[in-house]
Amino acid sequence: MSFRIKSALAMAVVMAATGTFYLFSVVEASRAIGHTAPPAVAVAYVLAVIVVSIIVQTALALIWPRDANARADERERAMQTTAGNWAGWVLSVGAVGALGHYWVNGDGNMLFHLVLASLIVAQTAEYASQIFLDRTRL
Amino acid sequence: MGRKPPPIDNRVRAFREREGISQAALGEAIGVTRQTVIAIEQGRYSPSLESAFRISRVFGVGVEDIFVWTEAPGGAPRLK
Repeated sequence: MSFRIKSALAMAVVMAATGTFYLFSVVEASRAIGHTAPPAVAVAYVLAVIVVSIIVQTALALIWPRDANARADERERAMQTTAGNWAGWVLSVGAVGALGHYWVNGDGNMLFHLVLASLIVAQTAEYASQIFLDRTRL
Repeated sequence: MGRKPPPIDNRVRAFREREGISQAALGEAIGVTRQTVIAIEQGRYSPSLESAFRISRVFGVGVEDIFVWTEAPGGAPRLK
């Protein structure tokens, strides 16, 4: 497994775990106040993603320093491009869905959470796509 | 997804084993990762023209000695 795929696998797990944490945070906060939680709930999530990502990437770079400093080769660049393209579609669908939800319900707080959730899902999908493309024909 | 794979076969593995070179060493020589060399040998990835030339230079042969177009003649229209 190349360093970039190890990194993508680690980050996919980080995004899925922190995304789940975010989901439960929003649900619990919303239940506590009786309506959709305000965007401030996302602060803890953002801090968690930043801290955990730094720890994970630092650990990977310390374990495989040479690979971490190497530039992506042609195949890795092509995988990143394709995976990014697919993630863009995921983000677009999520964002449009969030806008549609806002149009119908007028819930601005939910719009914020749905857009952020779309970002999380899209980023997770990008990492998962890189892993998929590494295993199949590019 | 759903795109037909290019009709290109290769003999990279045969040449590499004949020369006694590891996948990692070949990757190092042409500027790609070991995983990319594996993907090339398994037919899951067609290298760029530059990488194909670099591979052939490593083995001291021509590009078409290693990479083979497998589509039957007449498959693509000839330009006038």
